Amino acid sequence: MPDTRIGVFVCHCGRNIGGYVNVPEVVEYAKGLPDVAHAEHNLYTCSEEGISSIKKKIQDNDLNRVIVASCTPRTHEALFRSACEEAGLNKYLFEFVNIRDQCSWVHMTLPKEATEKAKDLIRMGVAKARLLKPLEEIEIEVTPSCLVIGCGVAGMTAALNLANQGFDVHLVEKASELGGLLLSLHKLFAVNREARELIVPLIEQVKNHKRITTHLSTEVKDVKGFIGNFDVTLEQGEKESKLRVGTIIVAVGAEEFKPVGQYGYGETAGVLTQLELEERLKERTLEAKNVVMINCVGARVPERPYCGRFCCLTAIKNAVLIKENDPEANVWILHRDVMAYGVEFEEYYRKAMESGVRFVRYSLETPPEVIANGELKGVSVYHELMGKQVELPSDMVVLTTPLVPRGDNAGISKTLKVPLSSDGFFLEAHLKLQPVEFATDGIYICGSARWPVEVSEAIFQACASAGKAAMPMRRGHVRPEAITSSVNEEFCGGCGVCAVLCPYGAMQMVSKNGKGVARTIEALCKGCGTCGAACPSGAITMNHFNDEQIMAQIEALTEA
Amino acid sequence: MAQKPKLALYWAASCGGCEIAVVRLYAKILDVAEAFDIVLWPCIMDFKYKDVEVLPDKSIDVCLFNGAIRNSEQEHMAHLLREKSKVLVAYGTCAYMGGIPGLANVANRESIFELVYHDTPSTANDNGVRPQLSYQVPEGELTLPEFYDTVRTLAQVVPVEYFVPGCPPVREQTEAVLQAVMEGQLPAPGSVVGASDKTVCYDCTRIREDKRIRGFHRPYEIIPDSTHCLLEQGIICAGLATRGGCGAPCLSVNMPCRGCYGPPPNVFDQGGKLLSALASIIDTQDQDEIERIADTVPDLLGVCYLFGLPASMLRRVRQD
Amino acid sequence: MDRNGFEPLILGFACNWCTYAGADLAGTSRIQYPPNLRMIRVMCSGRVDPTFVLKAFARGVDGVLIGGCHPGDCHYMEGNYKARRRIHLLRKMLRDFGIEPERLRLEWVSASEGARFAQVVADFTKTLKELGPLKKDAKIAVSQQD
Repeated sequence: MPDTRIGVFVCHCGRNIGGYVNVPEVVEYAKGLPDVAHAEHNLYTCSEEGISSIKKKIQDNDLNRVIVASCTPRTHEALFRSACEEAGLNKYLFEFVNIRDQCSWVHMTLPKEATEKAKDLIRMGVAKARLLKPLEEIEIEVTPSCLVIGCGVAGMTAALNLANQGFDVHLVEKASELGGLLLSLHKLFAVNREARELIVPLIEQVKNHKRITTHLSTEVKDVKGFIGNFDVTLEQGEKESKLRVGTIIVAVGAEEFKPVGQYGYGETAGVLTQLELEERLKERTLEAKNVVMINCVGARVPERPYCGRFCCLTAIKNAVLIKENDPEANVWILHRDVMAYGVEFEEYYRKAMESGVRFVRYSLETPPEVIANGELKGVSVYHELMGKQVELPSDMVVLTTPLVPRGDNAGISKTLKVPLSSDGFFLEAHLKLQPVEFATDGIYICGSARWPVEVSEAIFQACASAGKAAMPMRRGHVRPEAITSSVNEEFCGGCGVCAVLCPYGAMQMVSKNGKGVARTIEALCKGCGTCGAACPSGAITMNHFNDEQIMAQIEALTEA
Repeated sequence: MAQKPKLALYWAASCGGCEIAVVRLYAKILDVAEAFDIVLWPCIMDFKYKDVEVLPDKSIDVCLFNGAIRNSEQEHMAHLLREKSKVLVAYGTCAYMGGIPGLANVANRESIFELVYHDTPSTANDNGVRPQLSYQVPEGELTLPEFYDTVRTLAQVVPVEYFVPGCPPVREQTEAVLQAVMEGQLPAPGSVVGASDKTVCYDCTRIREDKRIRGFHRPYEIIPDSTHCLLEQGIICAGLATRGGCGAPCLSVNMPCRGCYGPPPNVFDQGGKLLSALASIIDTQDQDEIERIADTVPDLLGVCYLFGLPASMLRRVRQD
Repeated sequence: MDRNGFEPLILGFACNWCTYAGADLAGTSRIQYPPNLRMIRVMCSGRVDPTFVLKAFARGVDGVLIGGCHPGDCHYMEGNYKARRRIHLLRKMLRDFGIEPERLRLEWVSASEGARFAQVVADFTKTLKELGPLKKDAKIAVSQQD
């Protein structure tokens, strides 16, 4: 190893470290370690003064490795890495030693022990620093086009959003027409407007937009590649076509649950779902006088514990429409809690009650019973509030069911290598911090494909995912952190363990001289190290966290 | 007439398989005998230790030393042959990594003697007779080598120039190594020779599809498909964590690799890596299922360190 | 019981996103815990090769603590599940080696669990004090006459 010259900068952090750890003693100790060419202490290493000192000492002392012993890399590693870069040192030749958050602050009554611990940690840091290598971040070009899967309100909104920003969009739809679920709806709740008024203009805009190419009756057969460079194979009947896109948005929506076998659905005439009711309302073929709606059918039950989010509002909407049509009609909504959140929806619920829709609370343990012998007679329910069984005469029973994941979600999940939740909907990267994207870079999610959403939420999410997708496409490139894995093909025996372990599909088996070897797709690798830890041939190196570095840290800790 | 280079072969704690490996050169053994002046080969020829003791230091050009070091006689010969040899080769897995005799590192002298000289069912030893280091008889003193607590590799006792892995090394590689010695074509000292830098997976011609398993089987428990990867069928094969170059002969007769060629070049501890790989491909997230599957491996230490316990990081079982 | 003031040496591996963050939180909250732990930061508990643990014990470390994200929360999706499988098998093998499996501890500590992190360290330190120093078998090999 050519002359390794390590600089160690120990921070007092005011009194936060200096008040407990004997910083001057630690600096003297560091000076005595092999390969340490310079050691100093700073009052605040992250201050203007501290940063300048680092840069100056790198130059003056010809340092080729830098260690800062202070707070925590989670907040300040980026800062010190920049300082090194500005002084001409590759940013990966910097190592952080945590002697505050995990040392001085937690051993405030044990100054001697805290000082010894700081020395040990710095010795370990120096051992790693000796073995650090300069690393280059790769720049991956991003193709400025997006594949949107699903042409409902979410998919079309996202597509238009991106197309209006100047990106090309390929819109793929399994059905033979655009529009999705909204085509089957009659009116939209709270706003009381026909779904047509929203969806038809959207369809027109999409059809006429020069940047949007629509593929109807088409499915996504295969996707290979990674952010910026997805190679997509589409299948339309027997015909296959190929595309190259930079980003992908999943907007496949969901479908209404059909409760076959429950409450006489599928057996007794007059028992419908809400969507089926909407059809009749649209076509004005409704002829019922006593409508009983049963909510939470197939939702919030042991086999499907989630809440459908907007089905209560659908029931309320349809109940109100029936009443508007025929004020003499009796409409009952049997529910297990009413989900009507926020401003508009709560008001809508109240209006429904005022217009004469009656709400009856029932419990999971005592569900309503549909009474019919050949012909629908009524519904018997245990009225929780009144505390007794009531009989409601009825000539139509409407079952309010949630949206459920589509059957082909599993196939799409495998094709795109994105996860599904335990309920079968798609699972985003992080509920709060990354709600409209997958952990896999370049693939985004919006609409009911994630979990049931109502129209405005579908639109928000579509705009959000389009906004997210636009970022890499506008920048034109992405630069992932260079802590990726790399395979030494001299040692790789092609066992394939890494390929099954990688959740990102970053480890691919390729053919070399007729045999298989593993290769890292740097653009996909996040650097977690799971492959490296398992690689039984030692062929995989985890850059910046490699075996030699970690072993050196362990050896340094246990030096006699 | 030019002096022929001197060759010595010695067996320490071994089974004799490495002797057979050399003899299996068939007709080529005559070339070896032609090219070298053999000065020691206890298995095959009649030289005595004192014949070696009188040789000048470093006068033996090459010594192929097989077997692990588990008693004082073997240790003595290791030191003697090191002194007398220019190039000392740890030939075979026992000398390289401890080998099968190395498994004794799960025990110690006391527990082994207790078993052998007392506990075994067919032993009748009421007087508790144990091997002695020395015993006086009318004719003089009889001595036995000291039996050590721990088995060591050759390199843990003396410096070694080359390592030839294999239990035993396969014929082609033995031939190649001897050829290289005869031609003076050996790499830098400290190297492993007679093997490749890749793993046994590279030598193996079975089809690999998906390394995910839901359980382990002993070889006798199922009849494996002879064209597909054994590990993918649930039979523990150490090939993925084992240095290749043997040509994967075990795999070609439907038996899994047991790891006798030792760790691949870049691996610090063969058993540790094998354990990591096996654990990683267990295809379940459920804790109970993980435990159930793990419990189907009857002897994890034996599986992971069958040939290399003395050479491993922990080297031996810890005892009070 | 304190064996003559024996202070165990604990090597830790903390995943960047959860345990390391939780440990930092213990710091910002000034929660005190014993000074026996020396932490190595890794990106994911899935990075921890069982070989590292074997190395640590071979070098005389008294206990190894591995911290990762709670199951289901791994930043890299499944790294912690791999860690769990490896550590389970490793513990079994450590027992075969005569090393008490309690000396290897796998804990799920989230970024918000500062107090819990401190508790785990205190607890582990106490356990190791009771177990005593790792049997080093320092006179590895040789003769009973040494």
